[in-house]
Amino acid sequence: MNKKIADKVDAQTGMGKTILLCLPMMLITLMMYSRGQLPTEPARLFAFVVAFVFINGIFFLMIRTGKTDRLRSILFVTYAVCFIISFISHLIEARGSMAVSQANMIEGLTPFCHIVIPMTIIPAALTKTIIFPGTIIGGFASIASMFALWIGASLALGRGFCSWVCFFGGLDEGFSRIFKKARIKNINLKFTYLPYAVLLVVVLAAAMTLSPVYCEWLCPFKTVTEFAEITSVKILIQTIIFVSLFIVLVMVLPALTKRRTQCSLFCPFGAFQSLTNKINVFDVRVDPDRCIKCKKCISTCPTFSINEETIARGKTGMTCMKCGKCIDACTQKALFYHIKGTPLTGGRFEIYRRLFLYPAFLFLATMSGGFVQDALVKTIKLIATGSMI
Amino acid sequence: MKLDGFILGLSNGAACIATCAPVLIPYLLGEGKGIIRNCLLTVQFLLGRLLGYLLFAVLAWTISRSILQDTSRHDLIIGAAYVLFSVLLIIYGFFKASPSCKTGCADGGYHKLMASLLPMSLPVVAGFATGLSFCPPFLLAFTGATEQTSLLAGMLFFFSFFLGTSLLFVLAPFVGLFSRFSVLKIIGKMAAGLMGLYYLYSGIILLLGGLKRI
Repeated sequence: MNKKIADKVDAQTGMGKTILLCLPMMLITLMMYSRGQLPTEPARLFAFVVAFVFINGIFFLMIRTGKTDRLRSILFVTYAVCFIISFISHLIEARGSMAVSQANMIEGLTPFCHIVIPMTIIPAALTKTIIFPGTIIGGFASIASMFALWIGASLALGRGFCSWVCFFGGLDEGFSRIFKKARIKNINLKFTYLPYAVLLVVVLAAAMTLSPVYCEWLCPFKTVTEFAEITSVKILIQTIIFVSLFIVLVMVLPALTKRRTQCSLFCPFGAFQSLTNKINVFDVRVDPDRCIKCKKCISTCPTFSINEETIARGKTGMTCMKCGKCIDACTQKALFYHIKGTPLTGGRFEIYRRLFLYPAFLFLATMSGGFVQDALVKTIKLIATGSMI
Repeated sequence: MKLDGFILGLSNGAACIATCAPVLIPYLLGEGKGIIRNCLLTVQFLLGRLLGYLLFAVLAWTISRSILQDTSRHDLIIGAAYVLFSVLLIIYGFFKASPSCKTGCADGGYHKLMASLLPMSLPVVAGFATGLSFCPPFLLAFTGATEQTSLLAGMLFFFSFFLGTSLLFVLAPFVGLFSRFSVLKIIGKMAAGLMGLYYLYSGIILLLGGLKRI
């Protein structure tokens, strides 16, 4: 048996053990998706079954094969696409358009998104108000629920949030996987500091203007979710800026570089989230004795989080999203998920990986389940009636 | 010293620092100097602000306060100040000469000039331009100054107001505590450049608005 096949067999978990390990996830997702009662409407029942089988199938394969990234990516990209289908159809159903009017903002009907969180902190401390036209509790995507989700996910995953929870991340990840090889390889690593500069500027400018400046001016994802109604030259300029950023950072550059350029070269929330890696128990480590310096991990990392310096230190950089791409790419198994404070030797890495996978996948399954089902129902409706609404 | 001006400044210091911090903090981080050097830069920045305040006090008095009544003119003045300041900030953020260029680059003359001019002028110009911004504390001070009976009293009112707002800036030089993190220097410069883009936009909009109304 050659080494590659031997490694593959070695990495695989037995069928019985895999089923046992998947049972908790199946039970939790069954309860969450059904909310205690199976849907009676045929389209909803079909969507429920498909989402349940698809998501648990992915988890089953993760446990069985010992591979993380490619399988995570399939669900992560599906999640982002389904989120957009579901979000836009709901917006059009409720407002008749993707554009948010001033009246909607005054009524606090703008859904709150996690990217706003860093901008709200200083103004909240200074003025005891949240500078966003959303609702604190209740309603769709309320501020309190998003803060609770963010705190929980940050404690459990650190910057893993960006690869397992964020409903936008799947977009640039999807585009980054279009081509087999990168068309642009040399990127000035100085630009990896740009998200921190954007973070500093938007946090200070939000405190200065008491408004979520990133949302108003820069957020590329407004292109595929909601945006302010164009009623002035200022809003027109803002629209041109965020649509251009979407095309360049979310579509073109990821496809050409095979990296998540929006997340690693621009997103202020990503920069902010990197700081939470310091308090999170999971990290990705490198065994320098096993490493043969092939640099495969450096070239595959979608967020520029590994370089020769970090390898020498035996770990990934602070911006690591724990996507598992480098771990899967390493032929020497020199990279592995790790729990801080536990020994780096002893061959317990698969256990560490599973301990990371449970919370990470649970967040992904929880967040994606509803959107996948909803998008399926809307698509069935589109096919059957010619309209999603 | 005018006590009412000082108290007005003191009570609005937080709002004032919120207006000035987006420019001052990235600049201090970008310079990457220690606390003492940062003190000097902050003083230069504050000096620029004081100049802006005093200029307004003088202008308001000498042209019988007409400068603020004619909005097109004040838009043009502030717009021009913003454009000048933003250009300096953008040059500082994205094009400022690296230390190695000071001696041996092909276009060393230009880099030398920028490297020697920017550190001197930028904090003063930045302070001047942000001092001219019509933030709520500034408007309050202006209202207070218009009630003064003489030019000197108006200037003294603005000076007292300046002292009150400046007390909170005492914390700014402590950014120097992070100067050993060299990456913060890169981040600070990039952030200063990005702030420059924001002020360039604001300046152009003000200029266009002013020109349209003439």
